[in-house]
Amino acid sequence: MSQILKTTSVGSFPKPAQLVEARIRFRKGEISRAQLAEAERNATKAVIQLQEDLGIDILVHGEMERGDMVAYFAETWQGFEESLPVRSYGNRYYRKPIVVGTVGAKRGLTVDSWRQAQALTKKPVKGMLTGPYTICDWSFNAFYPDRRSLILDLAAIVHEEALALQEAGAHYIQIDEPAISTRPEELDLAIEAMAVVTDGLTAHTISHICYGDFETIYPRLLDLPVDQLDLEAANQGFQLLDLIQAYQWPKQKELALGVVDVHSHSLESVAAVKQGIYKALETVPADRLYIDPDCGLKTRTWEESEGKLRLMMEAVNEVRQELGSS
Amino acid sequence: MKIAVQGSYPKIPSGAGASVRTQIQRFDRGVGSPKDLDQTYREATRRMLNLADEVGLDLTTDGQIRWNDLFDPIVRDVDNVYSEGLLRLFDNNFYYRHPVIRGRLAFQGGTLRYWSEQSVAMSKVPLKVALPGPFTFMGLSEDQSYHQSDRLLQDLLAVLKLERESLAGIGVAEVQWDEPSLSRDRALDKGYVKEVLATLTAEASLPQSVALFWGQGAHAWLEALADLPLRTVYLDAVADPAVIPALAETEWPFAVGVGAIDARNVRLESPSDLARQLEPIIRRQGNDRVILHPTSGLELLPPDRAEAKVRRLAEVRAAVLGTTKS
Repeated sequence: MSQILKTTSVGSFPKPAQLVEARIRFRKGEISRAQLAEAERNATKAVIQLQEDLGIDILVHGEMERGDMVAYFAETWQGFEESLPVRSYGNRYYRKPIVVGTVGAKRGLTVDSWRQAQALTKKPVKGMLTGPYTICDWSFNAFYPDRRSLILDLAAIVHEEALALQEAGAHYIQIDEPAISTRPEELDLAIEAMAVVTDGLTAHTISHICYGDFETIYPRLLDLPVDQLDLEAANQGFQLLDLIQAYQWPKQKELALGVVDVHSHSLESVAAVKQGIYKALETVPADRLYIDPDCGLKTRTWEESEGKLRLMMEAVNEVRQELGSS
Repeated sequence: MKIAVQGSYPKIPSGAGASVRTQIQRFDRGVGSPKDLDQTYREATRRMLNLADEVGLDLTTDGQIRWNDLFDPIVRDVDNVYSEGLLRLFDNNFYYRHPVIRGRLAFQGGTLRYWSEQSVAMSKVPLKVALPGPFTFMGLSEDQSYHQSDRLLQDLLAVLKLERESLAGIGVAEVQWDEPSLSRDRALDKGYVKEVLATLTAEASLPQSVALFWGQGAHAWLEALADLPLRTVYLDAVADPAVIPALAETEWPFAVGVGAIDARNVRLESPSDLARQLEPIIRRQGNDRVILHPTSGLELLPPDRAEAKVRRLAEVRAAVLGTTKS
């Protein structure tokens, strides 16, 4: 593995056409769960293979079994009801869960998919979870008297899931909290909930945050009890780095920097990506700076995703070379 | 008491019927034609307007079925404004393409007028058009050209006025200026806000209103708005419960909109509870000067729940009639 500028992905990959078709047929009752699982396994193989081919260091399984990062958990956990789709932007919709009772879960929902992906590669595959703050924020609460009680109940469930991944052998566990900047006044609550989730974990913990109004939560965000913050930056022309540079980057923290916009069809230039990396290196040492796309790639086509990752690797490899570390 | 809706409405049906989502997918795959897509927009708009008629709304929007987000018509109708990266819309799990200003604003017009003409022709209920107000536009856009907010504001007010006037003579009943930014920012100088809105609302050919939602400061602006030529001020009474006493205790020179139906939670309000809340407001303002409405556009809800909220408006009105008769 490279010593500096380790590369990774945030989580989701686009679903291949065969899997999209299988998911539709499963919903219609035309194929069994086992047949759907087979299609998911095949798609996961392709995701792992692509990352291996590109030379990415820390892999993701691509979330082929998940439709949406919150709904996936809510579909299985107790206390949730599924809704009809709600638009999140453009022509993207998600089934926003409705909390209708006390939330609860059987441990280990995510373990099988992680195990299957890890078995396909010698490189580490991240265990992928959604954080309690985001699950609450992206659900309708029609049961709990307040957000705090729901968030802390969810934190206890996510903690158990993280422990299950760790026990299964995951060295990297990512707990996504894209909603964390939604209400700056609740940042302390989000931090408290993350402390519940990561309590006692020995695995490397990561939290991915995007669409952030980071100005409102920085530098307090640095207190989020995870080893690595994974932040989008390309979406707004790396303006985030101006904010990061205004403060000392903590010695114990790693930064994963998003360098390609996952909501744009157009491909960035290698020069622009390198410029972002070099700017980040002014604040964060190369051994604690990771490089990845801004967010999950599921909204892009397979070709676009491959193109963006390939370009990211090209930029990283050039910077590594220029720093004498290839 | 009157009843109305505010802005957006789901673009997909709760059961069978025209789905903008599906048609855009077909269009993107090259299966559906531009004509098919246009037809679907019309049918989805008609569905929303028929619901408004069936329920007995006194005033409606067209559900903004053709809009990507609240800035869409401005981006289409004003030169040198571009839709760029996705950003979270306040504290919602909804993302807008933030407008970027790359040159002097120049009004071209045409799109919103065309869309609104179609909707007016389809609607049996008086139709209003909601537009982003200047504070919300300034707050959520990015200026890469003016670098002087005074000059930008001056031109912005001019193009917004031209957009409003482009809707004259086609049967639009009201232009509503949406100002969620104001609701969330009580610190702005009241004299300045009054001056800006006075400029915006002057020389109008159409009745105008202001909608304040998603913030705890909506009630704080009532006094500043009192001297402006506004037919109605709509206030979110869910995010800002202080709206209820502010409307019950003081008679205002404009009609008051009481946003007591939560457009961001599926939980249905109790008609009798709301009737009790509304009774002192109606007593103070007069029966024909109170409008019950959802806190904001209903597109943040699944389509079945959005429809239930529209129907709930009529149920609350019936309960109010019962209360005020007894």
